[in-house]
Amino acid sequence: MEEIVIDVSVLSKKYKVGKRVVGDLRSTLKDVFKNKQLNDSQDSSSEFWALKDITFQVKRGEVMGIVGANGSGKSTLLKILSRITPPTSGRIGIEGRVASLLEVGTGFHPELTGRENVFLNGSLLGMKKLEIKEKFDEIVDFSGVERFVDTPVKHYSSGMYVRLAFAVAAHLEPEILIVDEVLAVGDTAFQNKCLGKMREVANGGRTVIFVSHNSAALESLCNRGILLERGKLLKIGSIKNILTEYLSRISSGTRLSVSERKDRTGKGKLKFTEAFITDENNQRIKILSSGQKVKIVLMYKSEENSFENIVVKIEFKDQLGRYMFICVNEVSQGMFKMIPGNGLFVCTIPKLILNDGIYYLDLIVKGNGKNQDTVRNAMEIKVIPGHFYPTGILPKNRGVLTEYSWDFESH
Amino acid sequence: MKKRIITAKDSSFWEKLNELVEYRELLWVLAWRTFKVKYAQTLLGFAWGIINPVFTLIVLSFVFGVVAKVDTSGIPHPLYTLAGLCGWTFFASLSADAGKSVLSAQNMVKKIYFPRMILPLSNILNSLVDFIIVLGCLFILMIFYQYTPSINLIWFPFFVFWVIIAGVASGIWVVALTIRFRDFHHVMPLVMRLGMYVTPIAYPASSVPDKFKLLFYLNPLAGIVEGIRWSILGTDIFPSYIWISLGVLSFMFISGWAFFNKVERIIADII
Repeated sequence: MEEIVIDVSVLSKKYKVGKRVVGDLRSTLKDVFKNKQLNDSQDSSSEFWALKDITFQVKRGEVMGIVGANGSGKSTLLKILSRITPPTSGRIGIEGRVASLLEVGTGFHPELTGRENVFLNGSLLGMKKLEIKEKFDEIVDFSGVERFVDTPVKHYSSGMYVRLAFAVAAHLEPEILIVDEVLAVGDTAFQNKCLGKMREVANGGRTVIFVSHNSAALESLCNRGILLERGKLLKIGSIKNILTEYLSRISSGTRLSVSERKDRTGKGKLKFTEAFITDENNQRIKILSSGQKVKIVLMYKSEENSFENIVVKIEFKDQLGRYMFICVNEVSQGMFKMIPGNGLFVCTIPKLILNDGIYYLDLIVKGNGKNQDTVRNAMEIKVIPGHFYPTGILPKNRGVLTEYSWDFESH
Repeated sequence: MKKRIITAKDSSFWEKLNELVEYRELLWVLAWRTFKVKYAQTLLGFAWGIINPVFTLIVLSFVFGVVAKVDTSGIPHPLYTLAGLCGWTFFASLSADAGKSVLSAQNMVKKIYFPRMILPLSNILNSLVDFIIVLGCLFILMIFYQYTPSINLIWFPFFVFWVIIAGVASGIWVVALTIRFRDFHHVMPLVMRLGMYVTPIAYPASSVPDKFKLLFYLNPLAGIVEGIRWSILGTDIFPSYIWISLGVLSFMFISGWAFFNKVERIIADII
């Protein structure tokens, strides 16, 4: 059973940034009149390697998780494996029938009934008509929309739509299944049902390649994993090791102080030098609590005496890289017209809406519309439960907090 | 077990053809979807398939039959025009829908692999229905005028085959051009309107001055439309220039296929 079914060797994919591949007639004609060549290869555009020299193998029956931050090349890899887009170089050998599920409900047409869409979507996913017919009842049963199979799906609620779409996908029986983050849909109960189905598929000896941000799902489903970062394969190994490595990589950046960070992007005429957090008495703090008033202080310096039209932004992300909220002066009060060459920005948050956990902050500053300095994961903050609500109790581990109240009335 | 190799190189013509055969069920399902969405959901349903050509027929018969009094060698003008119109309708609807089929399939193309050639082909069913509707109208009109079809009718399948080739060739070109130039679909109505007048639908090709004739038959539809009319109504002569039309058409088909293959692979990246 040690047979290799997916063999990826030195796979690379290049995109041209800023180069117009698809044109419209107007600009093409304009180019013709300007005597420019249509497929101008010496464009001012830059190249961007979405994937670079990726090599790995997947054995039969393995469930492989692909882990990486946004923009690490996960989706591109899946697209190449699914043959949606060709690689720039390298080679993949795949043995067996492949079904890829990059989205639930691809090809669903709102005017068609649930029944018709099952057949349509099934065929798109590579099922034979006979196969769909055989499994039709099972599919409808799984989705729980029996009563509405002959209603056009435009009348479905979004939940029903997703359930039916996933039900079709769940009944695929390919030898190799490629799944993108499709579990992030529906309610928790349905997500669990989907995960259960996925586990069934995985345990059934089929080969699965699975991309997700949900580390719990990855850990419970996969046995091996690969870690991608900016198009490169960093590590391959057991899913536990991969997830540990991934999480520590997210936080490793924050061990360096902002001024020491080398992996920043931007023009750099204005740079962050230090970032710290204080409480309302301007005392520096390391640990924050939910509901607390905090100030985030960003010190900066520049080579010039003053800077114009400044947009400064802090992005709050959780451990999986999901954005929680963003603080940007452009929307709260408008950009700063003029700032001195050296100084500090202060962002005051009167009541912290983060639940307890670890969060990461991206710092971004733009001057005159151009990115001057971007430092990803510049700070790691720990938030502990606090007095956000009068009761002092917080909902368990889900989402951010918001102020509200409940009432009741007799009817 | 089937082994598939993915590299930067394009697969060969035979592999592609093979794959198209493999995906025939999907082609059928998509064709059926297009058909269903177009006809089954509109209030008037099939009526639209009739209203369109009938309206065109009235306009053309009025302009060419009543006003310009074109010589149709004794055949009632509406009949003459409709016989010309049926081939054209098929071609026009395949060409016009092709661009739409790509733009509406954008999301599908980015998320699922299938031979992209299915997109232009998936409109065939729809256009065939349009074609049959017009043929039905023609049949009724022939009964009305008590016109007996000629023995040339045995040639009819030959011309139907070529009109399908014409429609598919044009569909492939339109799809490929729409992928390359997103606003190409704005150009299509103009091309079709022009095409309708330079094709001998409501007038005989013989009325075209000799010095323009060669140019005239470079329009591949000219020979086919004349041929279909000749086979149904038995109009005086077999359109001998048709070989030019068929040659142009074959070239269009092959070049369209080649062009399509070139843009097909990168469709998901650029659309």
